[in-house]
Amino acid sequence: MKALSIATMNLRRMFRARTNLFFVFIFPMVLILVLGATFGGSSSPRVGVVVPAGPALAGRVVAELQRTPHLRVQTVSDRSTLLTQVERGDLAAGLVIPEGFDASVRAGRPVQLVYLARPDQSSQQLGATIRGAVARVSAVLGAARFAVHERATGSFDVGLAEADRIVPSVPAVTVRETTAGTALFPTSLGQFDEGAWTQLLLFLFLTALTGAVALIETRRLGLSRRMLSTPTPPAMVIAGETGGRVLISITQALVIIVGTALLFGVRWGQPAGVAAVVILFALVGAGAGILLGTVFRNEQQAIGVSLLLGLGLGALGGCMVPLEVFSPTMRQVARITPQAWGNEAFAKLVGHGASITDILPQLGVLAAFAIVVLALATWRLRRVLVG
Amino acid sequence: MRATLLICLKDLRARLRDRSALLIGIVVPLGLAFVFNAIFGGISGSSNAIHLGVVDADGGPAAKVFVTNVLGAVDRSGLISVRHERSEVVARRLTAAGTLDALIVIPAGFSQRVESNGPASMLVVGNVDAPISTQIARSIADGYAAELNRVRLSVATVVHAEGGPSRVPPARLRALADRAAATAAPVTVQDVSAASKELDQKSFFAAGMAVFFLFFTVQFGVTSLLEERVDGTLARLLAAPIHRASILGGKLLTSLLLGVISVAVLVVATTLLFGASWGNPLGVAVLVIAAVLAATAIMALIATFAKNAEQAGNWQSVVAVVLGLLGGTFFPVSQAPGVLSRLTFIAPQAWFLRGLGDLRGGSLSAVWVPALAMLGFAVLTGGIAMVRLRHVAEI
Amino acid sequence: MRATVPQTAGATATGDRTGTVRTLECRDLVRRFGDLLAVDRVGFHIDPGETYGLLGPNGAGKTTAISMIAGLLERDGGEVTVAGEPMDTRSVGTKRLIGYVPQDLAIYPDLSGRENLLFFARLYGMDTAGARRRAAEVLDLIGLADRGGDQTKTYSGGMKRRLNIGIGLLHRPKLLILDEPTVGVDPQSRNAILESVDGLAGEGMAVLYTTHYMEEAERLCDRVGIIDHGRLVAEGTRRELVSLLGEGDRIRLTATGDIAGAAASLRAQASVRQSNAIEGGIDLEVVDARDNLPGILQEAAAAGAVIRSVDVVEPDLEAVFLHLTGRALRD
Repeated sequence: MKALSIATMNLRRMFRARTNLFFVFIFPMVLILVLGATFGGSSSPRVGVVVPAGPALAGRVVAELQRTPHLRVQTVSDRSTLLTQVERGDLAAGLVIPEGFDASVRAGRPVQLVYLARPDQSSQQLGATIRGAVARVSAVLGAARFAVHERATGSFDVGLAEADRIVPSVPAVTVRETTAGTALFPTSLGQFDEGAWTQLLLFLFLTALTGAVALIETRRLGLSRRMLSTPTPPAMVIAGETGGRVLISITQALVIIVGTALLFGVRWGQPAGVAAVVILFALVGAGAGILLGTVFRNEQQAIGVSLLLGLGLGALGGCMVPLEVFSPTMRQVARITPQAWGNEAFAKLVGHGASITDILPQLGVLAAFAIVVLALATWRLRRVLVG
Repeated sequence: MRATLLICLKDLRARLRDRSALLIGIVVPLGLAFVFNAIFGGISGSSNAIHLGVVDADGGPAAKVFVTNVLGAVDRSGLISVRHERSEVVARRLTAAGTLDALIVIPAGFSQRVESNGPASMLVVGNVDAPISTQIARSIADGYAAELNRVRLSVATVVHAEGGPSRVPPARLRALADRAAATAAPVTVQDVSAASKELDQKSFFAAGMAVFFLFFTVQFGVTSLLEERVDGTLARLLAAPIHRASILGGKLLTSLLLGVISVAVLVVATTLLFGASWGNPLGVAVLVIAAVLAATAIMALIATFAKNAEQAGNWQSVVAVVLGLLGGTFFPVSQAPGVLSRLTFIAPQAWFLRGLGDLRGGSLSAVWVPALAMLGFAVLTGGIAMVRLRHVAEI
Repeated sequence: MRATVPQTAGATATGDRTGTVRTLECRDLVRRFGDLLAVDRVGFHIDPGETYGLLGPNGAGKTTAISMIAGLLERDGGEVTVAGEPMDTRSVGTKRLIGYVPQDLAIYPDLSGRENLLFFARLYGMDTAGARRRAAEVLDLIGLADRGGDQTKTYSGGMKRRLNIGIGLLHRPKLLILDEPTVGVDPQSRNAILESVDGLAGEGMAVLYTTHYMEEAERLCDRVGIIDHGRLVAEGTRRELVSLLGEGDRIRLTATGDIAGAAASLRAQASVRQSNAIEGGIDLEVVDARDNLPGILQEAAAAGAVIRSVDVVEPDLEAVFLHLTGRALRD
């Protein structure tokens, strides 16, 4: 009971400061929104297109690009603007359809579109996709032009109408696509889903680590000595301090999960599984925070180290860049962080609709993390409090 | 001026002694840049080239054209490596394991179907975790299919215009097909390389972390004015035979020096340790000084609204984090859609990073616009801060 | 009940020194904080070598008044001159003449005692060598010579207090302003502080001393100004102030029983000027204590008080304050 009062006192102190509310609840949700809006759904590169005013034929190129999966198309007013945006990385690449495109195509003069890209590899690779789309448009335009050339139709437009009409009936050479292997992160995820769980894990851990600051303050103000002077056994004080940090983490997780589900329609997966991940992860975080709070005496230093550890482990554990793009070696290294295991568990829960029994391996590892870190933390805290 | 220096030196000494400035200004950003660099170093290593497999189970002329001409050109570009496999089973296994990012299979009978105008298809098998490579493999196959389809469509259009297949003699059909194949595609794509004004990832994370934490480092100067007010030492400074402006000046100078020193150390350290390339030193110096001025001014302004150092620290952290996020210090917000991509420029951090990018892709003069933008922030917020600081420097 | 005393009461007391330039002269100081009139037309002066005490309860306006005198705070009205030179918040030159010791422990915790002294010595315009020499002297003077190199956050409370005062002495000011230097200090350190202040005054330094401890004001100060609710209600030497009480003697009855009732019925006695029930007894001001004591004891007993002891108290500043403001100095 006493442990509970110490724990709830921790919770109350945490949320009395309004800036804490910002960092604990609002900022993670804003970040989920921004990440979802920026990179959500898939990492589709944005391609800028300069289209000459008016003509219809050039529009076919734009329409075909828009139909191409994994591309986002944006029209840009002129070539120099396009060049600047591509150079700065605001756009992945650009395509310039020259003035006189329609007239040239109608007259049978070959037309060159300009593909503008930075000299890096992903931009060049994107070029292959653009060429494919242009080739599809080119096939229809070429057929119309060929008909005119062969004097089968009187005008280009008649030929084009003919070609458009028969495209569906001509047996086509097609390309079929399948995949091989088991996806770590399937493509069926919603726009905000992956960003949501990675940010949840990132901020749960960050908040938990800054618990070190509260602990240092409690010690500096002599509050822990005062607590120990009451008829409360040290074990109870330790349980209360730890429980308080866990309570804060769980509150934070609840607000973020419910909030993003309601506001942005984020899916989180089976509640029992999510609860298990969150609680185990909160225990790991609480232990780490207390451990840090017993190692440092100065609050400023504890904040610095918390930021370094929280952001660093988060990045390594796949909270900033998804684990799927890590090299195989780095993916193995990432497994020293609890975040990586949390991310894997969420990927299964959300991406594959897994239930709590499917993520037992991940839960087991998180539990092991929790036991080790909490054991260390309570041992250190006992030493610091009662020597 | 003398008093300003004395106060600044006194503050710097205290900051060095409690090591917090060292931690926030140098150790933490350097550590994070290191972690990011380790992660992204691994990533760029694995995705350097796309490994594409091809299985030609057909061996006919249409397949040969694709494998030799199309894939040959692709292979020679050096961006995509093409590996020929005999067995589709083996090739699929390699793809599943990730050795190949994607695989193009030309099934038996493909050429014959193409020639007989029947439905024909190629198969692309992609590794699940390599969606981009799969898409590229598909685009290459699609491009070839589109070329074949162009010939088919050209012939079919003429045939239909002339009254249908029954009215066209087979000899003309063959002649049409040959002529259509010989006709160049009406629309082609030409590559033009744009200079890269983007920072490479090492430099991006070094610069991003440096400017993100700069907004925390400069807090140590101005916020200590609030600390001195609470501790009572401000009264002592006010009682001393020095001008009030010297006290404010000392605090601002502390912020500026801490900011410049910490970023300078980070520039040198990231260059030497992980080979970050910041660009022309003169241009970098201009951008760093402008960023430090802007950061100091903004943090000073926020401090003037706070009742005590703790409150100031909290508010400053909120603003520093929000501006850091908006400014794209963690990931490039300018690629976000709509309003967000423009909103990024309310953050001086965005101008700092853009300035470094432009400096990299252009000449030294490219830094003036970003530098002036940051100075604009500094003058605007600093001006208001100076007016308001007079009240803070009172007991 | 508040008595208004002409503020010239003390001005003539030290009139024999008017030939020299006064170390401090302030007139009609006024300061408002919003609606609150914190300092209301306060004026006094201090001559060279004189110790002046500003005595008043917490919140009376002492710190606000000396903040204006030390040039820390803008004033809404009035004038301050130090050794004839005008003083306001921008008077850099005049500030050299003043040593200011704030009520807070205004020292930098992460700098050593010597570094604190050096820093302020340089702020007061000393060159490096001079500052070093003077810092060593002051460390000696305040008994911190062997701890001068340690960060002040490792100092005991008393050591910090001594350093706090030491910084104010660095530049040998003409006027030392001490704002409640003994608040929260253990009796031993307090004695040391009082002795050092006494010593400084002996060396010819003028001292302005604020306190709400009547004993300190009585012990240290040549003259005392009593301040309450922002106004200087009386001023003068101890003797002059006590004389304001008139001819009355003070009697303190330590008693149990119906103290309030006894105090009330004593008020009806012709010889009793004032009768106040206090904790554990009754405070009386009577016309002729020796003659009237038996009658008073009789009356008190009759009213239900059980007398344990009787003290005839010589008038002190506490009594003056009570007399002038109707309340005790410390409440």
